[in-house]
Amino acid sequence: MSEKYNQTDDGSWDLIIEPPNTLFDFRFKELVQYRDLLGLLIRRDFVAAYKQTVVGPLWFFIQPILTTLVYAFVFGNVAKLGTDGVPNLLFYFSGTIVWGYFSHCLMKCSNTFNSNAQLFKKIYFPRMAVPISYVAMELLTVLIQFSMLVFFFFYYMWKGAVLNSSPWLLATPVFLFQLGALGVGFGVIISSMTTKYRDLKQLLSFGMQLWMHCSAVIIPLSQFVDRGFGWVLYLNPVMPVVAMFRYAITGEGPQPIGAWLVSLVVSIVMLFLGIAVFNRNERTFIDVI
Amino acid sequence: MSTVVSVEGVSKEFRYGVLNNMSLARDLRSWWAVRRGREDPNAIVGQDSKVGRRDRFWALRNVNFEVKKGERLAIMGVNGAGKSTLLKIMSRVTAPTEGRIRIRGRVASLLEVGTGFHPELTGRENIYLNGAILGMRKNEITAKFDEIVEFSGLPEFIDTPVKRFSSGMFVRLAFAVAANLKSDILIADEVIAVGDAKFQAKCIKKMRDISEKEGRTILFVSHNAHAVSALCNRGIILDHGVEQYDAEDIHEVVHRYNELIKNQ
Repeated sequence: MSEKYNQTDDGSWDLIIEPPNTLFDFRFKELVQYRDLLGLLIRRDFVAAYKQTVVGPLWFFIQPILTTLVYAFVFGNVAKLGTDGVPNLLFYFSGTIVWGYFSHCLMKCSNTFNSNAQLFKKIYFPRMAVPISYVAMELLTVLIQFSMLVFFFFYYMWKGAVLNSSPWLLATPVFLFQLGALGVGFGVIISSMTTKYRDLKQLLSFGMQLWMHCSAVIIPLSQFVDRGFGWVLYLNPVMPVVAMFRYAITGEGPQPIGAWLVSLVVSIVMLFLGIAVFNRNERTFIDVI
Repeated sequence: MSTVVSVEGVSKEFRYGVLNNMSLARDLRSWWAVRRGREDPNAIVGQDSKVGRRDRFWALRNVNFEVKKGERLAIMGVNGAGKSTLLKIMSRVTAPTEGRIRIRGRVASLLEVGTGFHPELTGRENIYLNGAILGMRKNEITAKFDEIVEFSGLPEFIDTPVKRFSSGMFVRLAFAVAANLKSDILIADEVIAVGDAKFQAKCIKKMRDISEKEGRTILFVSHNAHAVSALCNRGIILDHGVEQYDAEDIHEVVHRYNELIKNQ
């Protein structure tokens, strides 16, 4: 059959469409081609989120601050769970924004296929642009929230607390990369599965709730260790990152470096696994959804 | 004239009905039961659960054709003939099961007008977003911006969120973006089914113009015999996923298509 076409085949085709066959086929070049789309998708999410809102981007701060105040009251003042020597508000705020970054990355990516089905059904562009734009948006959010963290930091300094930020502060980009990779990895795998199995969505919303409580966001790490649950650190790749981040800022609290290294490896593996699963699904999910 | 699209033995298989038992737990139970050689607890009564659990059908079966540069090819066929599946494979929305398609040049596909428009964004913002989704760079869109706005005829509403547009305005803007794209091959599926007669005529004229003046290739799916004869210079008829007829005489193609409908 192919002889019929060989006469016109001089190898100068721009695009060859074939049945999917490779497992890991991350077309980075194509993403570069569509870089303007990436920028516009981020802009779209940002603009659409704050149009017709009264305080607009101030929501970046309102939500984590209110959450922090509630946590500080309930878990700090009433339940007296302790904060491993880290000043109260700094402890809860750092935990909340870092966890928020991770969980939003995961939740949004897990919806990639379902919430963009209408678009994906009609037009082609590198599907990976969508989860990447989600993470970029979350990264932007958490970086803006860092400014609030700096505010809390100086507030405690002014009140006379001794805060010695550790050199680990320089590893903050690594922490953010790690959580982003975990979020995208888990997120796109769940997204690929929810095209077939809708019930995973139900599991996800309360699963994230449970996951948060196992991540030392509210309950300090020492409580886990004292009660013999220190091994959770090695099972839950988010937990050591949260702890290390707090240590980096305040120089207080535990520093689970071993578990953190394990988590770093896990997050890289999850990222690649996620991309592989995503690639397998992106070309055929439309027949399933 | 050089070949810009080469469709070689393309087939697409779909599965009928339910793809799974709609829940992971039940799928796992079925899988476990079948593994142990038991009967699938979720199988439909009377249906053999062990062999080929689900029915399949071919939406396209071994389709072969070539398109030359500057051709305006109509793909016709009754509902379910596989036209849209073919266009979806060409626009890379879904993958073929067998065969391959090779394309020379940049493809812009317009499977539905206004895909990717965000209701909260203004006309201007949506032109950029839509252009980028269709694969244009920002500066290319800027270069074409005035042309797009002019074609849409909506200069005074360009900074209004499109959610406040009427559906006619929406369609006009969306078509304007796609038609003014810098592409070598334009794939369009029933786009002109929307909008009024005047706008439809304008769309067809625009597509003819870009093909005749700029040598762009157009693949056009439509049921509308009038639109097809006004626009295309070649036609293919698909029936049950198989290519039935291919001719340059567009009136003959339309005639055969009408016969096909009558004989149904």
